[in-house]
Amino acid sequence: MIAALWLCGFASVAAAQETEKPKEPVAETPVESPPVEQVPDADVDAEDADALDAAAVEADIVAQELSDEAKDRLDAARESVVQIRGFFEGSDSSAFHGSGFAVDDGRRIVTNYHVVAQAVLFPRQYRLEYLASDGRTGPLQVLAIDVRNDLAIVAAGDLELPPLKLRSEIPAQGERAWSIGYPLNLGLTITEGVANGLVENSIEQRIHYTGAINGGMSGGPALDRRGHVYGVNVSVVTGRQLVGFVVPAKHIAPLLARAKGPLVESLSAEQLRQRVTAQVLAYEAEVLEAAPDADGTQKVRGFTLPTRLSRHLECSTFDERSPHVRMRVETISCQMPSRILAQPGVYVAGLSVQHRILQSTGLHPLQFERQVNDLAAGPRRAGALAHVAPFACRDALVSLDGFDARISTCVRQYRLFAGLYDFDVTVVGIDDPGSALLSRLTLQGVSFDIGRRTMERYLGALQWTR
Amino acid sequence: MDPVMLIEQADPHGHTILRYRYAGAGTECTIGRDLGCDIVVDDEHAAPRHALLTLLEDGRVNVRDLGARNVTRVDGKRVPADTGAILEQGEIIVGRTRLRVRTRHTPLGPERVFRRDFVTRHRTLLAVTGVAACMAFGAFVQWLDAPSSMLVSLTKGALVALGVIALWSGGWTLMTKLNRGSWNVRVHVTIASIAAALCAWGSWAGGLVAFATQWSFLVKIGIAVVVATALAALYAHLREATHYGRRVSLALASVVTLVIGVIVWVVTIGVDDSDVNRVALGPDVRLGAQRVVPNRDIADYLTEVDALRLAAGRERQKSLLNAPLADAED
Repeated sequence: MIAALWLCGFASVAAAQETEKPKEPVAETPVESPPVEQVPDADVDAEDADALDAAAVEADIVAQELSDEAKDRLDAARESVVQIRGFFEGSDSSAFHGSGFAVDDGRRIVTNYHVVAQAVLFPRQYRLEYLASDGRTGPLQVLAIDVRNDLAIVAAGDLELPPLKLRSEIPAQGERAWSIGYPLNLGLTITEGVANGLVENSIEQRIHYTGAINGGMSGGPALDRRGHVYGVNVSVVTGRQLVGFVVPAKHIAPLLARAKGPLVESLSAEQLRQRVTAQVLAYEAEVLEAAPDADGTQKVRGFTLPTRLSRHLECSTFDERSPHVRMRVETISCQMPSRILAQPGVYVAGLSVQHRILQSTGLHPLQFERQVNDLAAGPRRAGALAHVAPFACRDALVSLDGFDARISTCVRQYRLFAGLYDFDVTVVGIDDPGSALLSRLTLQGVSFDIGRRTMERYLGALQWTR
Repeated sequence: MDPVMLIEQADPHGHTILRYRYAGAGTECTIGRDLGCDIVVDDEHAAPRHALLTLLEDGRVNVRDLGARNVTRVDGKRVPADTGAILEQGEIIVGRTRLRVRTRHTPLGPERVFRRDFVTRHRTLLAVTGVAACMAFGAFVQWLDAPSSMLVSLTKGALVALGVIALWSGGWTLMTKLNRGSWNVRVHVTIASIAAALCAWGSWAGGLVAFATQWSFLVKIGIAVVVATALAALYAHLREATHYGRRVSLALASVVTLVIGVIVWVVTIGVDDSDVNRVALGPDVRLGAQRVVPNRDIADYLTEVDALRLAAGRERQKSLLNAPLADAED
């Protein structure tokens, strides 16, 4: 549910906002200084100061232990981590940036797909460069991508770095962990936290890391106590505290096996986009149409409503705040716990169903219809037209099981990915003057066939018994 | 009967500014700039003594040119210098001045019975009815939203409708006052309010009928009726408020309607208003079983949805043509 808030594309977002900012002085505060709380006020007398000194030293020792461990991790990994920067055509200032780290023979660098996505999708517009910790720079090539796990393998012809060791087991909950990267263009940074095991409601494997991950750290290594890489920094929940996500390292090995040569050399821009589309579709075929364990419908006030069109859908029921005092709205809302990113800002493989049962409590039928229509009209025609073409719609009166409905289906195709469509189906039950079903199926970035099949299952399952 | 001729001098717009009447066979009338002429024209293109009109025994008029450089013309034709021209009625052009000539030979036509038109006769009743209908619609729209304080909302809706009519009619009455000297308030209020009420209530009811019958052409007819009503109202306003004739008024009203139509069309471009089932645009009523045309079943509808694959593809092509993808390769 919260996963809807993931900010996978933060590398480019951070780049847009942060690249021009000067480094903040905070970054230069020495790590060794004792915690601020331990520092006595400036005007305490000498006797008290002695007593406080002893406590401060003790606290310092504890702090030193923690800090040293982070320092060791960073020192050991420093030379293996690079900043990955994307440039727009001939520009000198970076358009987006993220992090990456050397693995395998030291010639391959692991990062996130979303860090290099622009360069994959627009190979003529964007070029990639690395910036090593010793200041070396050079061009990077994308060798392989895994859209589903948000991973990519890149390499630079001459660059060889000390590789980091991978750990394919998931760390135990509560295990201390560190994340390294280049947050907000502030320079190489290590953050300390706790690995909290696999996220429970995610379709894709993600490790919950309770520690700071910020824009620009995407693609950086997540290290365990031995300095092995247990995953790759990928995303963070914005507006919450220290809820970060890490892709488990076990997904890196299959990708490395596929990384044969630079993609751009062997594939055209169109083929690269098709490759991304194909990976999205493979994911969808597995996830969106996964049959639920049980019936997958819910009965509310005479209506049988399809709720779990896919096993992965998560539903919640709530009494929505009605737009009118003389009307009650009961809502069942189901959505996928996660989506995947095809392009920065473009999330696909989304599926959500929302049923609203509206009941008039003293409205005239005409007034009730007005309320129903206002709610049904909704903002469906909104959408970033940079990524999608306009909707094509088909509205009709359709006899469903036990009731008649006004159905409006709108479909639009993605501009960049010809194989992906958005579906927006609105169903308005039209039989009863005092109650109405307002149901909506939304699919984001799916193949037309999946969209149509899902729609068929959805319409077929809707039912009303008086 | 004594021969008579009436000469009417017109200004450049064609409006009569002076009339001269001559009676008796052999009566002569000279036209020119010279103050000694019978009809003096203030026209630099006229000669001092330009033309001579003689009333003949048989009641017709002989027109002679007196050797002006800008030759005298009758109904557009040059007057022969030697013989002159004979006419029963017609238009003489001296320089740039036009003079209409009428004689006893000019047919008079039957007497027309004086009748005030329907609107003028019942203007009070019609104005009150129209305004009431508009205020009722304003209130009805407010009522549909089921507001918490009914009285305030209904009053607000009614007053807004009243205000709009007052503003619109006010403009026209002012124009009437300037052009004709009288206000004609009730006539303008009648025209404005009846047209507005017809359009408003008609659209609402028409939408319902279109939805109930599922005949999408009714929507188009409805739009045509609204446009025709607007055109008729503008025409009536113009006729009432100005001196324009039928054709000019109709042309002006058409142009204004066309311009408004084009603006509306541009604003609503991309909105498919012919679909009677459009959730966002259709009528507010779900008529249940009272429909003339049966519903589709799911299979039929899904077949229609299949066509959306092509439609969406076309939209994408259009979109790519309008704004090509950023990569130069494509």
